[in-house]
Amino acid sequence: MKTLRGDLGTTLLQSLLRCTATSVYIGLAISSLLMVVVFFSTPAQAEISEIELGERVRALSDIESGQLVFKSADDHYVLSPRVNTDVDIQITGLLARIKVSQTFSNPTAQWQEGIYVFPLPETAAVDHLTMRVGERIIVGEIKEKVAARKEYQQAKSAGKQTSLVEQQRPNMFTSSVANIAPHDDITIVIEYQQRVNQKQGEFNLRYPLAITPRYIPGKALSPSAEIRHFDGHGWAVNTDQVEDASQLTPPLTPSSSNKTSISITLAAGFNLQEVTSLYHQVSLLEIDDTTREIELVSDDASARDFVLAWQAKDLQSPQAALFKQRKNGQDYALLMLTPPKTLEKETMSRELVFIVDTSGSMDGGSMEQAKKALQYGLTQLRPQDSFNIIRFSHDVGSVFSDARRATRTNIDIAHDYIDWLRADGGTEMAPALKMALQNKAEKSELRQIVFLTDGSVGNEDALFSIIENNLGNSRLFTVGIGSAPNSHFMRRAARFGRGSHHYIGSTDEVSHKMKSLFNTLSSPVLTDIKLKMDGRYELDSRTQRVADLYIGEPLLLTLKAESLADEIIISGRFGSETWQQTMSLKSGAESQAVSVLWARRSIETLMDEYRRETDNEAIKQDIIDVALAHHLVSKFTSLLAVDKTPVRPQEDPLNSQVIALNPPANSVMNQFPQTATSARLQLLIGLFLLLSALVLRWKQG
Amino acid sequence: MRVIPIVLLIIAIGLLANGSYIHVKAQLAQWLISHAWLQSTDGNSQIKPWPWADTWPVAKLSVADHDIEQYVLAGVSGESLAFGPGYVFSSARPTERGNTIIAAHRDTHFTFLQEIQRGQIIKVQTREGRSRDYVVEELRIVDKTDVSWLEDSSALHQLTLVTCYPFYSLELGGRLRYVVRAVSLPQYQAESPVKLPA
Repeated sequence: MKTLRGDLGTTLLQSLLRCTATSVYIGLAISSLLMVVVFFSTPAQAEISEIELGERVRALSDIESGQLVFKSADDHYVLSPRVNTDVDIQITGLLARIKVSQTFSNPTAQWQEGIYVFPLPETAAVDHLTMRVGERIIVGEIKEKVAARKEYQQAKSAGKQTSLVEQQRPNMFTSSVANIAPHDDITIVIEYQQRVNQKQGEFNLRYPLAITPRYIPGKALSPSAEIRHFDGHGWAVNTDQVEDASQLTPPLTPSSSNKTSISITLAAGFNLQEVTSLYHQVSLLEIDDTTREIELVSDDASARDFVLAWQAKDLQSPQAALFKQRKNGQDYALLMLTPPKTLEKETMSRELVFIVDTSGSMDGGSMEQAKKALQYGLTQLRPQDSFNIIRFSHDVGSVFSDARRATRTNIDIAHDYIDWLRADGGTEMAPALKMALQNKAEKSELRQIVFLTDGSVGNEDALFSIIENNLGNSRLFTVGIGSAPNSHFMRRAARFGRGSHHYIGSTDEVSHKMKSLFNTLSSPVLTDIKLKMDGRYELDSRTQRVADLYIGEPLLLTLKAESLADEIIISGRFGSETWQQTMSLKSGAESQAVSVLWARRSIETLMDEYRRETDNEAIKQDIIDVALAHHLVSKFTSLLAVDKTPVRPQEDPLNSQVIALNPPANSVMNQFPQTATSARLQLLIGLFLLLSALVLRWKQG
Repeated sequence: MRVIPIVLLIIAIGLLANGSYIHVKAQLAQWLISHAWLQSTDGNSQIKPWPWADTWPVAKLSVADHDIEQYVLAGVSGESLAFGPGYVFSSARPTERGNTIIAAHRDTHFTFLQEIQRGQIIKVQTREGRSRDYVVEELRIVDKTDVSWLEDSSALHQLTLVTCYPFYSLELGGRLRYVVRAVSLPQYQAESPVKLPA
């Protein structure tokens, strides 16, 4: 008995010791982890761009996964409907018609609603929607956005199959498809019209596939997230789900990713020299000298946009082209003209001034991006240029007191200065802008200011007047930085500064975006473009403004007239020289796409005006009128297709899911802000450690 | 071995202090901001709540049903969110036409969002003294990439409050956001079939 009790005692003691040792180890492990957490979550760090933060936290939770400390929030992710996309592109000369078929398949046993966010080119004129269910085809109608959404919701709750295509931004659309039967699919076909891009004698067409690496489908959390709806409009279907929040569909392993296939027929209208796909492997079939058929070889959605580029043989690309259409008693014309290259002369010397925002709000990722952008800018300087860098937060500083020549030494000094920059303090933009706009004795032919900031300012109007009153011969180019810059301010600042606005969303994009900025900065410009034509035609400043033209770009005009005159005179100014050309409007090819493209451009200009004006109801109505007349999706109009017969029994619930592609990085705001602190976690683990400390102390003492 | 409990104790105190500091800072800052607010409603410049702040109050948010009165700061950087709800610069200005977006931390200023109900009224006041009542119309949980919620449907006076979801999660970089959408009072009465609370 004695030995038994002794054994029991030893065993107890041993297990107690083991317990204590384990708890100490766990405690140490947790506290070191916590230090990591605390380190990453101090306010200054919290504004690191979402990507970095996301990755860190994800990495952190990977470590934790076995430890039960962090409860995974991913319980709610379920298998989403898949979307397979087939893209069919017909290119005729300078016009392209693109047909995008999205097949929503529902692999679950419930009725589903799929909402798919997808990018399209900014100039896409979306004018056609058809929904295919089994053998039946339902053609979509254009409606005002609010009305279309209401009808969609009604059809959805009545159990009818319906689809809705809406424009979220000029380059971002959503298609919603309601009541996909269990284990069935619905195909919707969206069609749009687009112009082919032309630059320096090369033609290209882009189809966006923007899925950036951070959301590659098939990773632990596919790009889709199950979304529970608290639908506030009183349609009962979704509201029920709130009460059943705990009974949500159990998690399933994500299935294969969304797939995209692309096939293209290219009828260039001239002898083709070379046809290439810039980023994707394609198969190429030569039909004749002017025609090719192209197909994407692998159908996996890729991280890069699809770009097809082609050139004319012997560089005999057309210098001018004309397409015409007569519709509803109106003449429409699309005119393309490349100003001759002889206009190109030696690029002028210039003064380049960088302004960089080093206020506290730039801390973290934004500051890194700004530094990278500056470094890139320095590499673009030519020996005849002069430059300066101005920084500001609550005060202003600069690397040189005046702009200096871009010599090796000066550039090295600037590089050191950039390394030294830190983000801290307030945002006082005015003194920096004034300093940059001050014109010094030495006169350069061209004075360009590149302004890098997240634009967190409140006194916008005061800044606009500074720019307007001091601009002189300078041009202001704004570069927005960070995950949610104040693009409204920067766009307007660039307009007052007669430059352009650019946006850098992540560190990866810096060189790409800065390159396009510097291409713009170094091209000579054709300004003051004017048109003269007899007869009545619509091309006043109200609907369309002819923008400045950088050399190598074609001039593209869309015209609407009751009847077109025989010829049109186009003139412009290049520096001090004037340039003029007369074009005949008598000949030209017929095309059904012309009126649509005219309408799309009208909407674009009207939208600019809409954003500028405060009292904009009338402009909105104009946009709706143009969009409805030409069957176009816009900010205020959507395409809607509704099947007449209900298919979903009313007692079956409808599940709703968002299938999100990563929105393009140049959007106003590409993610929700980060809105959690580590307070609760710290308190919890602090308490835990406090308890273990007390227990240990008690054991020892 | 005697050192371990002491080390643990120190770490524990550190964590507890830091954890509570986040909450204390959130409360204290609002108090300081209320002073800056009172000053700035007199004049019209941006008064910073403390000299080195990189943000300033832009609006006052009140929800009578939950006894909430908070000052909204400019921007949604980590710096401003630590002190108060943040106004998203790219969204419509408070009380003006369009979609005004305000975000805050789920565990400090916007904890009350979990209790907010449809039909309740959120009041927004600007420094200039303009004010607008918004009625909560929709409560949703969305993925953080579903930015259609941040869209500006300029026809309406809209207010969108955003915070992280789930409310009691310990995770920091979660994918889900809780979105409260409210519309201006007359519009709500005109368009919504739901009756207002008396």
